[in-house]
Amino acid sequence: MTISHRRSLANRCNALKSTGPKSVSGKRASSQNSLKHGLNSVPGFESSSEYRALVELIAEEGFSAFACADIAAGLLNYRRVMDAYYDTYTSPEPVDEFLRDANVRASNPIFRELLSPSGSEPQDVREMAAFFASMQRQERRKGGPVSRRSADSHKLIRYQRNGIARLSRAVRQG
Amino acid sequence: MPVQDKPKSLLPFLSSPKLLPDESEAEFQSGLQSLLSELDNPSPLAVALVSQLNESLWWIKRHTKDKELLLHEAMARLLSKAGSNWMPSGNSALSVALEHYLDGSAHKDEAALIEQALTDGNLTLSDLRVRAFKDAARHIKMVDDLIHRQHQTIRHLQRGIDSIDYKSRLIKRMDLELAALESKQSVKGVLSLDDKPS
Repeated sequence: MTISHRRSLANRCNALKSTGPKSVSGKRASSQNSLKHGLNSVPGFESSSEYRALVELIAEEGFSAFACADIAAGLLNYRRVMDAYYDTYTSPEPVDEFLRDANVRASNPIFRELLSPSGSEPQDVREMAAFFASMQRQERRKGGPVSRRSADSHKLIRYQRNGIARLSRAVRQG
Repeated sequence: MPVQDKPKSLLPFLSSPKLLPDESEAEFQSGLQSLLSELDNPSPLAVALVSQLNESLWWIKRHTKDKELLLHEAMARLLSKAGSNWMPSGNSALSVALEHYLDGSAHKDEAALIEQALTDGNLTLSDLRVRAFKDAARHIKMVDDLIHRQHQTIRHLQRGIDSIDYKSRLIKRMDLELAALESKQSVKGVLSLDDKPS
């Protein structure tokens, strides 16, 4: 069922009154909101069975124990980055079609109607319309799904650069 | 023989590259096999690095496709802005119609919608493409950066593979030299034993 333009605007106006999560579990959940890919966390490869198996196999190629550890960690780290890259690429921020295509100026009467029970002045209506217009500009600037996934993937370039440099260095110095 | 089945492969311990739903696994694997066939008896580590290299090549393909899609996205946006085709339900219908129009599979209605939008905006298809390129330049630059990054990654992997290859050849050569020295030494030992007065 599609929500009407009026209903959607009312929902958004009400959402603006929200002051965030109140319960402990809500706060715990929202504390993870900014967690995008987890690549800034320190990986604990050393305790994994994959790491130990890789070290053993690489050692058979004549690398020193230190080099084996470096190469195995480098490989696992590089895979971690590439997995995050794929996940970021395949799940970009969704396009808010309502906000992108809404005719904000034409929605002024609705804003007025929604705000009037609280005795709002025309100034409030103008501010609300300006706020939605700025949100719309932001939404349009982000572009469509392809633009979004490119922009999101672009943020992971530095992790890729560091990951591959670490792996390559470990292999060459081994 | 698939790479995973090779004895002592590192690949089962590494996460494998994932494909998008519309991509061909067979094509991906054949790319990997052709890269591996260029190596003479690759070690498990070399195979693991070649697999990463194949994934990078695959990403380059994806991003190159994205560049064209970005242009189409910008063209649809410009069309919906320029003409009287602003639709309260969103311009996704226009995007779909444009996509079909550009690949030549548009229905009569879709073609009419695009042609009407072009007329309304007083544009030709090539004008639209040029403007779209300008409009999407920022995002196209980003995709170019992503492609460049994959090229750099390939260069790093190539150097790693070369170093493994060089190392294995060096070890072989040293083994041979050692064997030669040992055999020379043993011959000398035999000779010196023979020279000893009884």
